[in-house]
Parts: sequence; structure tokens; C-alpha cells
Amino acid sequence: MSQFIYLHKQAWASLKKKIGFVATVVVTMGTTLGALLCVLTLGHLLLVEPLPYPEQNKLYRVGHILDDNKGEISADAFTYPGLIHLYKNQEVFEQASLTSYSQSVLTSLPNQPRLLIGYTTPEWFSLLGVKMALGRPFEATEALDTFNPVAILSYDTWVKEFSQSPDILQQKVTFEGVSFSVVGVLSKDFIEPQLGTTGSDMHAWLPWDFNQQTRFKDSWGNIHGALTYIGKIKSGVSATQAEQVLSPLLNDTWQEKVVGSDFFKGWTISSEVRSLKSIILGDSERMLFFMIAGVLGLLIIASANIANLFMSRTAEQQRQLAIYAALGAKKRHLFRNLFAESTVLMAISILVALIISSAGFYLMQTQFASVLPRVNELTLNLFTFGSAFLFAGLFALTFAYLSTKMINYKALSSMLQSSGKGTGVQVSKRFRQVLIVTQVAIATVLIFANISLFKNAVKIIQEPMGFEVDNMVSVVFSTSTSPAPTAEESAIAMAQLKSELQQLPQVKSVSQATSPLNNFQLNAITDPVTNLSFTPDYKQVDAQYFTQIGQPLMEGRLMSAADIKDQNRVAIINDVFAKNLREDGNVIGIELDSSGDIYTVIGVVKGVKLPGHSDIRSRMYFPSPQSHRQMNLTLEPNQSVTREQVVAAIKEVSNAYALFNLSMLPQTRNNILFPQFAAAVSTAALAAITLFLGGVGLYGILSYSTQMRRFEIGTRMAIGAKRKHLINLIVRDNTVVILIGIIMSIIVMTVIYLFNQELLAEYIDVGLIPVFVFTLLAIGSLALFACYWPLRQYINHPAIHMLRGSD
Amino acid sequence: MSNIKIQMKGISKIFETEELETHALKNIDLTIYAGDYVSISGPSGCGKSTLLSILGLLDMPSGGEYVIEGKNVTDLSLDEAAEIRNSKIGFIFQSFNLIDELSVFDNVALPLRYKNQVPSDSDIEMRVNECLALVDMSHRASHKPNQLSGGQQQRIAIARALVAEPAILLVDEPTGNLDSKSGDQVMDVLEKLNDRGTTICMVTHDPRYADMATTQLKLLDGAILTTPALSEAS
Repeated sequence: MSQFIYLHKQAWASLKKKIGFVATVVVTMGTTLGALLCVLTLGHLLLVEPLPYPEQNKLYRVGHILDDNKGEISADAFTYPGLIHLYKNQEVFEQASLTSYSQSVLTSLPNQPRLLIGYTTPEWFSLLGVKMALGRPFEATEALDTFNPVAILSYDTWVKEFSQSPDILQQKVTFEGVSFSVVGVLSKDFIEPQLGTTGSDMHAWLPWDFNQQTRFKDSWGNIHGALTYIGKIKSGVSATQAEQVLSPLLNDTWQEKVVGSDFFKGWTISSEVRSLKSIILGDSERMLFFMIAGVLGLLIIASANIANLFMSRTAEQQRQLAIYAALGAKKRHLFRNLFAESTVLMAISILVALIISSAGFYLMQTQFASVLPRVNELTLNLFTFGSAFLFAGLFALTFAYLSTKMINYKALSSMLQSSGKGTGVQVSKRFRQVLIVTQVAIATVLIFANISLFKNAVKIIQEPMGFEVDNMVSVVFSTSTSPAPTAEESAIAMAQLKSELQQLPQVKSVSQATSPLNNFQLNAITDPVTNLSFTPDYKQVDAQYFTQIGQPLMEGRLMSAADIKDQNRVAIINDVFAKNLREDGNVIGIELDSSGDIYTVIGVVKGVKLPGHSDIRSRMYFPSPQSHRQMNLTLEPNQSVTREQVVAAIKEVSNAYALFNLSMLPQTRNNILFPQFAAAVSTAALAAITLFLGGVGLYGILSYSTQMRRFEIGTRMAIGAKRKHLINLIVRDNTVVILIGIIMSIIVMTVIYLFNQELLAEYIDVGLIPVFVFTLLAIGSLALFACYWPLRQYINHPAIHMLRGSD
Repeated sequence: MSNIKIQMKGISKIFETEELETHALKNIDLTIYAGDYVSISGPSGCGKSTLLSILGLLDMPSGGEYVIEGKNVTDLSLDEAAEIRNSKIGFIFQSFNLIDELSVFDNVALPLRYKNQVPSDSDIEMRVNECLALVDMSHRASHKPNQLSGGQQQRIAIARALVAEPAILLVDEPTGNLDSKSGDQVMDVLEKLNDRGTTICMVTHDPRYADMATTQLKLLDGAILTTPALSEAS
């Protein structure tokens, strides 16, 4: 033990004199191991750790797959009556629950917050083994068709909206005019399976009967993505067997119900029974493997680089090692010394890695919760510490082994007697050249790929949409009374509200339509002339909409006030849909059938690209009803509108409405572009990390190479070589190898392109030439730096420093 | 006075570590005239190599004044020192210090390629061939150093030292890595060069070779024990 402590003390004392070396190793290995630990812990959580629910392996979600059997449309969503039919008639689950995910305004609180609401049946609580902080879960008294108005709050909602009020169970909460008695608060430790929206827990739970989709209870032609069915499968029944039972149960009934519909002719429904775990995992498995592959790639480069640095360090230590050898140290003694050093370095690196992985967990939880499941369960655990310990040990052993491997013990032992040159520790010139070529090739490929992806992400972020959302706000209203106001009442109220909002000094214009950035829905359209069916996006707009957002009219006319007032059956379509309908695009006046209603096309607008979309879809626009509860406000320059101001405007008109949502459209645009922003940041970071790692790697090799040429450099200096001569010499000698590395990278990239032409075609354009030139400049500068930096310690000292020990 | 090649006054060299200060050279006064053949000898650690390093501007003195051919070189930048070494000093090392990857011809030509005004290829060729002929190694011009014996390598090193027509040859234990026969041959070459007027300053352990010099300096503990008047006196 004392020997162990002695060796490590010696190692630490020696390393303290090489702060630059220590810092480079710790920063490089700490960062990459930190990223690896972070991603591996996530992978372990998602792929290995069971869900935190009782008998989680028996929990399944039933999917409801509609297929047009033409390969054009396939959707996974329930019809409302189809879901109830399944709930009442299935026999493969011991227990099952219905859930519908939605949002609603809590109008009983003065600040009227918009909450995420889960409408569910009582089985949901027992299926997931929900623990309560206060009160009780839903019971049989809240089962289907009981209409018992009770509510359960999430722990966070209880804390945030009710300040942990101890008498919460005596309070009521009001949503859409219905008052619900609070009967429970979920436990703080309960982890909700995020089946509604990844990254968002529900704020409150209400009985299924109150869900907003009940108006579709007899509609077998409308599907709703928010309807979910989960159940605990009976023992002995497999998922495939369950599908075989459930598919006919769903399809036969549906076929009976839509038998008269031309649109659904030939369509079928099947069930898809998938484990809850795989549903929660979603397609993040692929993303996870990409992340692991990316981090492993970085780790390989980093560890190769650090191995180079260790070799360089060993070369530097050869005199010291020669003295040990002369005093009788055997090769294993030298290994122990080197292992002690690598252990100390890896121990510090792994500490840094654990800190970095903690920061990574926080980053994932705060920034990536909407794209990565279960991240709220991430924490430093036994797996993380075990992996950290394993990696530290493996890398310490590997680096020590590689360093020992390059020692020519025989030459080292005789080095002191012969006062020889650096032959005791050597890596062949050819091997060093291979290392340089590899480093340059990998760094060039990675930097080029990352800059290309960065450029692509920035291009999408900066791409003009074809319409304006600057200074625009979208507002959505909900009803707050039960029964809700009639359409006529709403039409009057909305007209007054529009006028109230228009009178706000900061508001320039108002349109009664959904946000231009989203809320398109699919519509089944038939062209009576050609008898062709289409499923374009559609939305409802008023007379001001297109003018307000600056979307150009190409042909015909826009909606008139009369079209809105009289709810005329007219439609405006975009140029993309016009081309699909008629090759010549001449569509003004043609009629289109939407579920039996005939609409006349009155105008063609220019198609616009929604943020983050690479194509322009077929779209059509109908007159919005006057009762439409969504508006877009354009504000005067540098003005804003607050939630309180809009709520005050609503109060001026009626108490039957609440502000459901207010969103600044530039912010919404940025939220939609989050994947592109994330891609831009991560590719820029990866390019920077690669540049750093490439620099470390090249420095390691060239430092070692320069070390090997120390006496030659000294000799050249002795006979009159100036610094510029020596810099030129080292650069010239390495240029060929660096050029070979660059050529290798071009070959690798060409091969990658040839094997993935379809996938990469959209990225290939002339714009890549400047990116490649920039990459070459970056690699060239890096290589020049890596040539100069190790040399500077020699050329900035008198020549005798290099010649000592040469005789 | 124009005959003076090298003049040192009060040269000292101190090596400092965190805890220790070593006076390697103490107040050295030395004048070497054109055509001198000076040997420096003394026990290990007496400062011979340090003195030779400072003479050759491979290292800088801690104190004193150093003049080569009338130019004060005491406090030069690294590049200025390199230029003086290139134009006025020729080095011959104990272990030859030839560059393995270069041919004999290229090794010899190297100092010419570091000149401010690099001579034309034909001038370089002519000068290199002259020097190789001088050490009787013309027939090995295209060989690599590792194809030659130690004695031959040292003769190549002498040719390289001469190629830029230096003011003085600084020679460090030229026979240290050679057998006695090869050593004698190398010393013959040096003697001939001195006979032709080349100024030589040589560090050696071997009293036999020290005796070949016209002037012998003995160093002990960083100081010159004997201070002959060199050429002027002799």
C-alpha cells in the first residue's frame, strides 16, 4: 500500500511540473468522457431500466391505424366512438384506461393560467401505481359516464398555483365553466408517462367524461391524436395475439359505420399493440444510437490524441527512465511508474467527466425534454459511477501500456553509458506519419461535415417564409361558462372583442384567424371534374388575414367581408395546390367537394414555407366563422401587448370567455425552429471540439516528432540556421503528410456521398466550395500551429539546449 | 590588431537552478589570432564545453565582453547569433552531428543554404566539391552518412565546417568517437588546415592531440590556469 501511495505521490509531483500536459489531458478526456457518461446513462435509462410502474412489462398502448391501402395515408389515431367501443368490448387486457390530453384555462384563479389537462378513467391510477401526496385518486364514482366533477392536481401545480395550500382538498377549480372539487394531489415522486407531449407533465387530471372531444362521440370519420388507450395485458397473451384479436374488433365495427362514405372506400383499420416502454422511447432509440456513435467517435479521436501526448511525454522522460533502468528498474517497474501517472490523470479526468455529465443531465432536462423521453429521471447513479470507474481504469491501463510499449528497454538501459541520442524511446517515422494522416483526415471530414450541417441549419433559420410575423401576436380564447355560448352569441362577442383589441393603442391591425405559423389541418377534398381526391392542409381565415401577414395574391381575389358574414362557400388555394388540381394552374372558378359541401375557388395565393419545413404543401383557406375564437394582432413597431391587457379587453366584452393562449409569433417561430437552433449550436460546438481535439492530436504527434529531431535541429542551429529556416523545415517536412491527410478526407467524403447519395443530395451544392475552402484553411492553420508550437521551445533558446547530450 | 579573430574579456557563465548557482566560467580573458591552433583541456566539469559553446555562440555568457573579428557579439538575438555562426564559425562535434537523411553533398552544402544571400547552385556545387576534396572525400559525395565509417563522417563534418569559409573552426573532442587510426587521420586534416592558415580552437582530453596545438589552454574550475600570450607572445 505504501508503495502504491509512494508511486502516486511521485507521479503527482512529476505532473505538477507539466501543467500544460495535465490541463490538456484533463480537459480533453474529462470533456469527452463526460459526454460519454451522460449519453450512456441516458441510454441505460431508456433501453435497460424498467419504467417506474408496477408490472411495467405488461403495460401496453393500443394504436389505431387507419390505412387508405394506396400507400398515401396511414395515421395512428383513434376516432372517439372507436375508442369507447374498444374500451367497452376488448377482452385481452386485465385492466385498461382512456386518456385524452388537452389544455384549458383555470378560470377560477385570478391569473387564469393555461394548464395541461389529462382527462382519464380511474384505471389510469391503478395501472401506473400512482401515489398521492394528498387525498385520493379517481375511483369508480368517476368512471365512464358518471359525470362526477372532481379534479386531481399535479404536485407542481399545487405548489405553483396554490402555494401548497393545506386546504386544497376543500377547494374547487373551474375549467370552461365547470367547477371541479379537488380530491387529490399527486405525489412529488410520481413520474408521469409522457404520452401526450414528450417533455410536458399534465398539470391537472379530470374525469374522462369532461374531455373536449366528447362532441365527436358519434363521429366515426374524425380522428384525434390526443386519444390514448393503455392497458395491462392478460397473462399469457402476447402483443401479436392481442393485435389479432383487436384488429377485427375495431375494423369490423368501423366498416359498418362508414359504409356510405366514398372517401373511406377501401380503407381499413388495424390495431398496433406496443409496450408502453417502446412508446415512451419512441424513435429516440435512433437518436440515442446517433448520439452514442457521435460521442464514441469523439472519444476515439480524443483518446488517440491523448495516447500521442502520453508517447510524447514518455519520450521527454526517457533520461529519467534511463536512470531508473540503470539503477535496476525492470520494464514492469517502468510500467508501474507510467501507470501511476496515467491513473492520477484519469482520476482527475473522471472527476471532471462526472461534473460535465451532471451539467449534461441538466441541459437535457431543461433544453431537450421535448425531444428526449424520461430525461427527468436522469441522475448520477450506480451505472454512471460504475462506468466512470471502468473507463478511468481502462484508459489509465491503455495509456500506460502504449507508453511502455514504445520503450526499447535494451537501448534505454545502455543509454546512459553511451550517452546516446533518443533511441531508448521511439515510435517509427512511418507510424507517426500514419497518425498525422489519420488525424488530418478525420478532423477534415468532421469539421467539413459539421460546418456544412451548421450552414444548412442557419440557412433554414434564415430562410424567408414568404410572409411576415414580426410584431405579431396570436391570441386564442376559450369559453369559461357551461353551457358554452352559442355560435351566434360568440359571433357578436368576437366582433366586439376584435373591436376592443383594435382600439388598444399598440395594436395596428387584427385578423380573425388561426396563427399563420401553425394550425393547419388535413381536409379530404374531391375534384368533381377529374374525380381525383386530395388531402391538402386547410385553415379558416377572414378578409384581413392575407393582407395582414403579407402573403401575396397571385390570381383572383381575397375573401370579402360579405364572404365572412354570409359564410359563402368559397375557397382560396395556394399555387402548389392549383398546379396539382390543373396542370396550367388555371383554377379560378372551379368547384371542390369537401365532405359533400361544394366550394368555389376565388383566388390563388403564393405558397409559403412554414418554419423548419423544406417544402410547400398544398393548402386551402376557407372563410372563418364569425364565432372563430382565434385572432392575430399586428403591433405598432417596438410595442407589446400583455396577457393582462387582453384579459381586460375580454372582461369589457363578456365573462363567458377566457384568454386561452397568447403567443408572440417571432417567439413561436423560434420555438418551431428549435431543432435547427439546436443543430446549429451542436454542430458549431462539435466543429470547435473537433478543431481542439485535432489540434491536440497533431500537437501530440508533431511534438513527439520534433522531440525526435532535437539534435538535428540543434546541429542546424549550430551551423547557422535561423528560426525561419527551422520553421520552414518542419512545415515543409510535414506538408506532404498533411496533404495526404486532406486527400484521404476527400476520398472518405466522396465514398460517404456515393453510398448515401439520396440522403445527402439536398446538402450538396456549390455553396459547399467555400465551406471546404474554409475547412482547409482551418486545418491548414491548425497544422501550422501544431508544427510551430512544439518547435518554439527549441528555437527560442540558445542552440546548446538542443545539443546537450548529443555527444 | 586586425589579426585578432576572437577576443574575450571577463567572460563568466553562471548556471542557476531553484536552489543552486554554479559558476561554470569565471572571468575568462582570451584572445585568439588569425592562424592560431588553440587547444583547451582540463578535467571533466572544468568548463571546456561551456567555453566552447560561448565561443561558438551556441550559448550566451552571463557576463563579460565577447568580440569576433571586431564585432561585439556579447548580446545578440538568437537570429543574429545564428547569422554570426553561419558566416564566421565552423563547428566540428564529437559525434559528427551529420543529418542522416541528407547525402554527404547536401550535409556539406547546408551552411551555404542558410546564408542571407544563398549562392547559386553552381557556386554551391563548386564550393562543396572543393571542401570535400580538401578532406579527401569527393568520392563519397552521394552517399548517406550512415554508409560511412566514423572517421569518414568526421571528415565530412570538417568539410561542412569549412564550406562557409569561417573565421575560426571550433572543434569539440573530434576524436572522442573514433578509433586511434581514424582519430589520427582527422587530426592530420586539422593540422593541414591550420598550416594553410585556418584558425582552430579545439577542446580535447587527449594530451597527445593537445600538444599538436600551437597554444594550449588549461582550465580548472571555470578559470584558465595558464594564460599564454598566444600568437603575439609565441
